[in-house]
Amino acid sequence: MSTAPSFMPLEATARKALNLSMQRLWLTGQVLPAGARLVVQHVFRCQEDKALEVIYSFPLPRDAALRRFRIAGEGFEAHSELKETEAAVKAYEEGIARGSLSALARQYADGIVNLTVGNVQPKETVTVHLEILCGVELKDDGFRFRFPFTLAPAYHSRARAAVTVSGEGEIELPTDEFADMILPSFHKDASTLHQVGFELSIVSQLSLDEIGSPSHAVRVRQDGGCSARVTLAAEKDVPNRDLVLDTRFKSVEPQVLAGRDRNGKVPFAAIVPSSSFGAATEGPRRVVFLLDRSASMRGEPLSQARRAIEACLGVLSATDSFGLVAFDDEVLAFQPALVAGTRESREKGHDFLTQVDARGGTQLTRGLLEAAELFGDEGGDIFILTDGQVFGTETILAQARSAGIRLHCLGIGSASQDRFLALLARETGGVSRFVTPRERVDLAAVDLFASVSRPVASGLKAGANIHPEPPGFVFSGTPVLVFGEAGQTGENQIELSWHGGGLKLPVESGESEIGETVWLLQGCRLIADWESRYPSSEAAAKLEKRKQSRVAARLLELSQSYGLASREMSLVAVLTRPSDRPGELPETRVVPVGMAQDVAVEAYFKNQTITDMAPAMFACLDASMSFGTMGTPSAGSFIRRHLSRKPRAESPAGPPRASETTEDILLDLASRMDSDGGMPGKNRAARASATALVLLAFLSQGHTPIRGAFRSHVARLVSFLLALTGLSDHQQQIVNAVIELAHKGTAPAGEWIALASASGNHWKEIESGVLRAQASARR
Amino acid sequence: MSTSRTLAELSEESGIPARTVRFYIARGLLEGPAKAGRAAVYSAEHLERLQKIKELQAKGRMLAEIAFELDGGPAPEQTAASPWWQHVIEDDVQVWVRGDVRPWRMKQIRAAVDHFASRLREPESGKARRNRK
Repeated sequence: MSTAPSFMPLEATARKALNLSMQRLWLTGQVLPAGARLVVQHVFRCQEDKALEVIYSFPLPRDAALRRFRIAGEGFEAHSELKETEAAVKAYEEGIARGSLSALARQYADGIVNLTVGNVQPKETVTVHLEILCGVELKDDGFRFRFPFTLAPAYHSRARAAVTVSGEGEIELPTDEFADMILPSFHKDASTLHQVGFELSIVSQLSLDEIGSPSHAVRVRQDGGCSARVTLAAEKDVPNRDLVLDTRFKSVEPQVLAGRDRNGKVPFAAIVPSSSFGAATEGPRRVVFLLDRSASMRGEPLSQARRAIEACLGVLSATDSFGLVAFDDEVLAFQPALVAGTRESREKGHDFLTQVDARGGTQLTRGLLEAAELFGDEGGDIFILTDGQVFGTETILAQARSAGIRLHCLGIGSASQDRFLALLARETGGVSRFVTPRERVDLAAVDLFASVSRPVASGLKAGANIHPEPPGFVFSGTPVLVFGEAGQTGENQIELSWHGGGLKLPVESGESEIGETVWLLQGCRLIADWESRYPSSEAAAKLEKRKQSRVAARLLELSQSYGLASREMSLVAVLTRPSDRPGELPETRVVPVGMAQDVAVEAYFKNQTITDMAPAMFACLDASMSFGTMGTPSAGSFIRRHLSRKPRAESPAGPPRASETTEDILLDLASRMDSDGGMPGKNRAARASATALVLLAFLSQGHTPIRGAFRSHVARLVSFLLALTGLSDHQQQIVNAVIELAHKGTAPAGEWIALASASGNHWKEIESGVLRAQASARR
Repeated sequence: MSTSRTLAELSEESGIPARTVRFYIARGLLEGPAKAGRAAVYSAEHLERLQKIKELQAKGRMLAEIAFELDGGPAPEQTAASPWWQHVIEDDVQVWVRGDVRPWRMKQIRAAVDHFASRLREPESGKARRNRK
């Protein structure tokens, strides 16, 4: 008899089948600009001759909560119940003792969930369909959706980590802080683990321009309007990185998503772009750049982060002040207080940055506190560049809030701490962005700095029907997202006011399903906010002690009102079947995950490998090991511009690479700007020529005073040229023409990038370009 | 006082959740119950062992270290358990491929194996039959 060819994993030595207790994880659902409503299918299979208890650990995305699950198999199906965590654990354990198929979804600190399915009988397949709601990272012109397919290792001062000879990393966290949470083992080769994939729909009120992914090869079917379907281009993928989807709208306008519920109320979510609030306010900047130099940042992320800070410094004037702090498990400060943004200080800052190398763990709290101290009694902004790979985030959040300083976060990573960094920024009134290692960290940093260095609105207040309160400040490029309810008291509009302005938006009821989704997203947002407010001692306390906490009481109330799980309430299902075998002890299997792609394994495991106890059992991973590769990301043009040329794991650590791409040259030019906004030169005419040329270089790449990552730099260049005097009439005419082009946001065709990076006087080339532009305009 | 206890009782006495106790059993840190099924019970030795594990964990030891310290540890593996993939082509033919090769290589190997498999399934050609005669 012929057997159909089939591939199955086997152990090399014993030639026994490598049994995967979880075989498949498939993500489906709908992504809206206000958040996503997802169903994650987990397919568990017992291929052993005794019943299994399978534990799958995963991190929640940003602003996420579990709603419910359905557990199904051949001839059976059950739905979860939401119970107080203690009662849910008890119900689960009683189910296990009775020999019944039982499932428990319980959330722990740091938003880590253990999904435990017990008494999966031999040869049985069980699928858990888990409904999750989560937020997205919003921008004025689109949004980024991020879903974790793996759980990245992270730093904790009391964690222990080791690597077994078979290449699996293990991390154990202190039980007094993390209770009985079980972490997966981390496999360097994710290709032998469960399959992952996705099929999502994207729905917006605005027409969709472009959809792409810097993480996965995707297939996009756009209907030409406001919706699209996105699927994994390949048949399946491996669990070693987050799914990241970018969506861009065709226009920038407010959106109100609403739908009438059964009680006649109309829950809504409104996304109000920052452009609705006006222009950025003027005033000196006070900023500290806080750079994560832990070992996990080694290589391209750290060198890009250094270059990004240098480029951001380029936009500072002598009236601005700045500080530089680098941290791992030690903190290194540039100066004990803020210094003026003069050319001399910035050059010294550059020297400081070149000495910052990657090493040690991630003691973010110490870095934050040291950075906050630099401000003295006055306020300011901290701009953090980190991969955020830390456990014990509630403690950090509590300390960040108490520091009273606004934090803006640029996260870097293939498997994210997106939830933590989003909270860290929001809870302190700042903005967060997260990039994958395949994207350009430096450009993202410059772009974020341009957005956050000065708010476009302050003192933002909302009407009574909006909950939670909106942020006090609005920053350019980042819209304001508010949730609320209309229809109850006749208020059918959204009202926002701020210092010097206000707006009203009508709420028009749409499909009831949209109403339900935005109402659930509001619940998720409130739960995520409150979960970040556990005082550190309460966050670490046992269940019975936490019950006395004000935060726990509020979370319980929110969970009950919205029907969503939190740390205080869990989801449980027990299915009684005739075949149940009471007292049978299921064999525990913890589902391994792939080591986060592009993360150096030795960053977490090398220094903590146990070699003194059992040298035969533990081995240090080779620093030069290779990683699994991924499908070519299918990014749209707006995303592609920001992709790195090569993945991080292939980029050796070392000094910043020489300027190679257009973006590299622009970064270099930005970092060379003087504190008055002009380019350096031996006299006024030389400075005017160099500045006009650099301005044309930026304009030629689409960066204008209001658009593009370098918009702050372009605005400064224009200001310098406007203020410049003492040029000849001819030179002044040329400069005026260049300023006019900047206001129009265009540049004539020309080799501006090459000319800007070459030395010498280029008045002739600039004049000829300007004349071409004028002739073209006349035509 | 009886020395035997159920898993729930063992969990309560030790302060270690039942799920964690099962996890320890699966990892070989703790013996399974004395009997199977409804009659499964745990002894004072189980409780003592759990207390010892807790103590060592409080000192910062990892579970693998604890297993080694308490029992001398499991026998070291002879070789690394690198995965292999089995391709069953016919009842009498199987091909083994290392599972940790790079994806492009795996694709190449699979294509070659598919080609090999299709060749093996072809009806015998006249020339082959003549040669055999």
